Amino acid sequence: MSYVLSCPNCGVREVTDFGFGGEVSARPKSRPTFRELNTYNYFRRNVAGVQREWWFHRSGCRAWFIAERNTLTNEVLFTARPEEVGEAGPGGRGQGGPDGRGEDGPDRPAAA
Amino acid sequence: MSRLPEQPGEKISRQRVVRFKFDGTIVEAYEGDTIASALYAAGRRTFSRSFKYHRRRGLMCCSGQCPNCIVAVDGAPGARACTEPAREGMQVEHLNARPGLEFDAMRATDLVGGPFTPPGFYYKTFIKPRRWWPLYEKILRHAAGLGRLREEQQEREWRTEYRRRHADLLVVGGGAAGLRAASTAARLGADVVLVDEGPEPGGRLLIDGRGERIAALVGEVEEARVETLSRASALGYFDGMVPVWQGDTLHQVRARRHVFATGTIEQPLVFAGNDLPGVMLSDGARRLMALYSVRPGTRAVVATTSDRGLEAAIALHEAGVEIAAVADLRSIPGSPAGTLKRLGIEVMPAHTVVEARGRKAVTQAVLQRVSGGGEERTFDCDLVVVSGGTVPASSLPLQAGAQSRYDNSRGNFALTELPEGVHAAGEVAGVEEFEAVLRSGELAGLEAAHALGLGDAASRGRVDELRGRLALARDQRAAVAVPPPVAGSRRGKCFACLCEDVTSKDIHLSIEEGYDSIELSKRYTTVTMGPCQGRMCQLPAVRLMAQETGQSLEQVGTTTARPPWVSVPMGILGGRPFEPAKRSSIHGRHRELGGNVKWAGDWRRPYDYGDPRGEALAVHQAAGLIDVSTLGKLLVRGPDAGEFLDRLYPNRFSNLKPGRIRYGVISSDAGRIVDDGTICRLDDESFYVTTTSSGAGAVEEWFSWWLADWAMGVHLTDLTQGLSAVNLAGPRAREIMAKVTGLDCSNEAFAYLDGKRAAIAGVACLILRIGFVGEVGYEIHFRAAYGEHVWDALLEAGAEFGIRPFGLEPQRILRLQKMHILVGQDTDSESTPFGAAMPWIVKLDKDEDFIGKWALEHYAQTPSATSLVGFTLPDGYVPTEGAVVLDGAGSAAGQVTSARYSPVLGKVIGMAWVPSALARDEARVTLSDVGRTVTAEIQTKPFYDPDGEVLRS
Amino acid sequence: MSFEFLHPEAVANDAWAPIARSPMERRARACGARFEVREGWSVAVGYGSAEHDDEAWRSTVGWADVSHLGKLELQASPDDLRTIAADGAGGAGVSLELGRATRAAGAWWCPLSQARALVVCDPGVAAGLRERLSEAAAGASAPPASVTDVTTAFAAMTLAGPHAREVFARFCAIDLRPSVTPVAGLRPGSIARQPGIVLREAEDRFLMLFGWAVAEYMWTVVDDAGCALGGRPVGVDALAALGRAAEESGVPSHA
Repeated sequence: MSYVLSCPNCGVREVTDFGFGGEVSARPKSRPTFRELNTYNYFRRNVAGVQREWWFHRSGCRAWFIAERNTLTNEVLFTARPEEVGEAGPGGRGQGGPDGRGEDGPDRPAAA
Repeated sequence: MSRLPEQPGEKISRQRVVRFKFDGTIVEAYEGDTIASALYAAGRRTFSRSFKYHRRRGLMCCSGQCPNCIVAVDGAPGARACTEPAREGMQVEHLNARPGLEFDAMRATDLVGGPFTPPGFYYKTFIKPRRWWPLYEKILRHAAGLGRLREEQQEREWRTEYRRRHADLLVVGGGAAGLRAASTAARLGADVVLVDEGPEPGGRLLIDGRGERIAALVGEVEEARVETLSRASALGYFDGMVPVWQGDTLHQVRARRHVFATGTIEQPLVFAGNDLPGVMLSDGARRLMALYSVRPGTRAVVATTSDRGLEAAIALHEAGVEIAAVADLRSIPGSPAGTLKRLGIEVMPAHTVVEARGRKAVTQAVLQRVSGGGEERTFDCDLVVVSGGTVPASSLPLQAGAQSRYDNSRGNFALTELPEGVHAAGEVAGVEEFEAVLRSGELAGLEAAHALGLGDAASRGRVDELRGRLALARDQRAAVAVPPPVAGSRRGKCFACLCEDVTSKDIHLSIEEGYDSIELSKRYTTVTMGPCQGRMCQLPAVRLMAQETGQSLEQVGTTTARPPWVSVPMGILGGRPFEPAKRSSIHGRHRELGGNVKWAGDWRRPYDYGDPRGEALAVHQAAGLIDVSTLGKLLVRGPDAGEFLDRLYPNRFSNLKPGRIRYGVISSDAGRIVDDGTICRLDDESFYVTTTSSGAGAVEEWFSWWLADWAMGVHLTDLTQGLSAVNLAGPRAREIMAKVTGLDCSNEAFAYLDGKRAAIAGVACLILRIGFVGEVGYEIHFRAAYGEHVWDALLEAGAEFGIRPFGLEPQRILRLQKMHILVGQDTDSESTPFGAAMPWIVKLDKDEDFIGKWALEHYAQTPSATSLVGFTLPDGYVPTEGAVVLDGAGSAAGQVTSARYSPVLGKVIGMAWVPSALARDEARVTLSDVGRTVTAEIQTKPFYDPDGEVLRS
Repeated sequence: MSFEFLHPEAVANDAWAPIARSPMERRARACGARFEVREGWSVAVGYGSAEHDDEAWRSTVGWADVSHLGKLELQASPDDLRTIAADGAGGAGVSLELGRATRAAGAWWCPLSQARALVVCDPGVAAGLRERLSEAAAGASAPPASVTDVTTAFAAMTLAGPHAREVFARFCAIDLRPSVTPVAGLRPGSIARQPGIVLREAEDRFLMLFGWAVAEYMWTVVDDAGCALGGRPVGVDALAALGRAAEESGVPSHA
């Protein structure tokens, strides 16, 4: 895996410059049921194809942005600042997280 | 010496003699020779012993493709003798034969015979009895492998370089097509890198006697300012990045476009004894003659499936090699057969070689009709030249995403569906005629340049012209090769794979045992997995598979092309041996004070200064000073800062008064503990957030991630590396403070959990009165440029009171006495604040939403199965962190997370997750620790100063 | 003031007279550096003779520890950011086009995002600049707008000389070819596997910023790669001479 991503602030860099933040999805707007909460916390769509995801330019501007990437080919279709993606974008998220470690949060091993 | 008279394109300088040693014997070579050409000229025929059967192997490809001449040079294994230049004084040694190359004891594996070493032999044989495996393993390890790592490489004294190179275009392959592609694109303004494996560009032109054409093409490339990397191998294609190994340097070439002009690889034939020294590929024989003026033999038998072998027969004849016989697999041999006839050499159509005979080297060859019928004819010879057609060297374009399809009309695999950004040119693209090869190179260069936005109307017009002419050439092309069958399998071992000693029988057996696809057979027999990476065995293996299973070659397909394309020393991939390390600005002082410096996450930190218990006691009895610069430090500012933190933490910060400090635990939306730290409100709109040392970066990412979504009026600034911090703690800390600051540090003026700003030793500081280590303490934060100054001033001021610097280990004892958790040590990815005995940190009465609220509401109602508590042990035994907590039935129900001997309490203390029913004072739990069982007594309140009176004093 | 503990001059009139030190001071000293105190900082001004230092950047590559440069972080809405920068630069035109730094008012103005910029300046002008910027930030039309002294968050080195780009190629994947990164090109990105910022100050001169705590590591990496290419550390006085030479030859640069 050695593709490049274009940071909306800094331009094209090796993928190793970035942190992966997981697929974009919505955090419940109001109190979820227990089942909804668990789905939100523990389930991923895990798309084999194009998905919208969070990336963090860890080695550069240290800003989060959105990328659309084909998970089969690593082709990056576009990258944009969160505010540029608008309604279709983050709009609340919750799943994923810094380092793609999801609900386990920063600096923790992923739960089995 | 079997040197020929001077050849037109020879690379040797006959006036200059260099001497090197092969297995201790001095060998004379001409400058320009390779190790192999010099040895071959001196009469050597055996260059290595094979991997499994330890059979003699001799020169075969003479171009660094096959595994037959791998040697160690100056102690470094893995060099190809046929491409490694001979240098004065070099020490060359054979590999994989004991005691020597001429007598190899392991040869027994071959002589005893096939039944003992079929595929899967080790797994089938050395598994019983199971307990003997360690012994088997030792013996097998000894027998396996090719060579030993050289000492310098182990010690990392061998300097390797990493070099990043960005380019517009990377051209791989310095033959006619690659040279033309590179100069064409560069002339249009592209920044081009050309990579070639040979000592000089030219590719197959070098053996075709077209020296003047090479010179012209190289001239074009130089004139166009192409950066040419010679003796350099492209290792693979990684999403547009191509690592190129050249000597001691790994170039990481990131180009926008790629032209692969990697040519073709000539294939051997599979017949009995096809690995005997003296059996050589036609290009190998021609390379020996053309470049090094070495006569490959005196009497040769030639077997071919295409014109290539016939042309080689002509070249051999011209060099004075007697041609005993020429067998062409085709019923109608190509046009060079006419030339041969004029030379008095008859070509036997529809014939092939079925056996090579000989003990140390080939002495006879047996030819037979392809159909198997008719009489067999035996010829005496010392050279068998074979040419089994070619395969495109397509590994790199395949790795880039191209497809490979079997082309029935041509009896060969062909590249199809090149991905965006990738071009193929020359023979790898199926173009063979010289002028067509040049045109395809030019076309690739133009197309690449146009894709880069270069070029003009003329260059675009040229593209159409070239395309038309190439299409014409393609249509006119006759079938040039037919797939040869395996011949003579009843006569002896027929090797499909020379690297791993896989015979046609082994592949047959693997299919019988059910491994009937090429990918499965590869894994079972290891065919294509050796040093040649399938160059010499991919096509034979596919043909055998097709023959055995009755499938077409198209159906069988090929194995996946994977990097590395050439064997590469691990040290080259490793690069320079530097590990990023963070160091506090006070680090130099720690070293001077005898600090025991170790890794702590990304940081280098002093674990102690030689006396961890004494250092811990000093904090209780006088004062201690610890460098805590590693703490994460985040400035959170803006009108919404308080609300922002309220959303991120389960407790409340918007109501924190300026100048006050509150502890906080970050929870995930799943209610799990993520990190912890203290937050000091600096003013209405500003908070100073500290995090754990290991969590600093991740917390900053976490904060900015939510901020990116919530778009609140908040600014984050990470000051982790910008500020140093030290913690001055102990009963005499206040007196020490009085000597270095004008700030009133009385308990009334500066209370527990107050944060104040003042100069210390002349440096502006933020001082937080917190008590991680359990004594009155001042955590002092200041600009990192003054690290040593503040540290020195505090130690100097504290000297009269008995201050000692203390390290991470005593701090761990001190915090454990207070049951202050270490996130990640005492908690894991499942821990909630409730389980970690911190229900008070969760303010579910906060009306507004916060991260983790919904899950925490759930956990507030659902008791945790295990709880984090303290324990003590009476007899001085310190359990291992990770020791198991047993429940009543003797099953594992929890684990010890921390344990230390506390010098001030005189007993062993610790923390553990225990069944919640046992999480009460004076309960007893059994700990099982590496076979030892001990009983611990539970304690729920801090071991030291349980009510925090000392801290508040 | 909430943040005087971040400000260097907060110590100026104290009897303790502390001196600010770079995290690479020990390494520079071990290489034979000569130090002088300038603007409260202990600065490696030279190694051998002036000619010896000059020769490094003329013929191969020289690297100088410039961690003492003042660094100010601006955060504001994109519009405010432009206004604040313009005010701070005293009316000089400051483009905040991403990927490009502007030299104005004795400082490099480096946009990191639409809402964040870094100002890198000589230590002598940092305090004045910060005051001007803070004043401008106070009048922001869409608060919050903030100015933070982050001088010690970033250590810094200048690499100069014909081999400077080759040195970077040994540990940095950023494309620094002139066609991609021209003079004043600003390239935040990984340097030796650490977050960093590369600024092309002149044709053969690069400023690199990296974390204060990784400075010793970074020195090791640069020293290793640079020495192998025939380079050596140089003092800041050699850089000043380099700046003058560049001005005389008409190549855009600064002293």
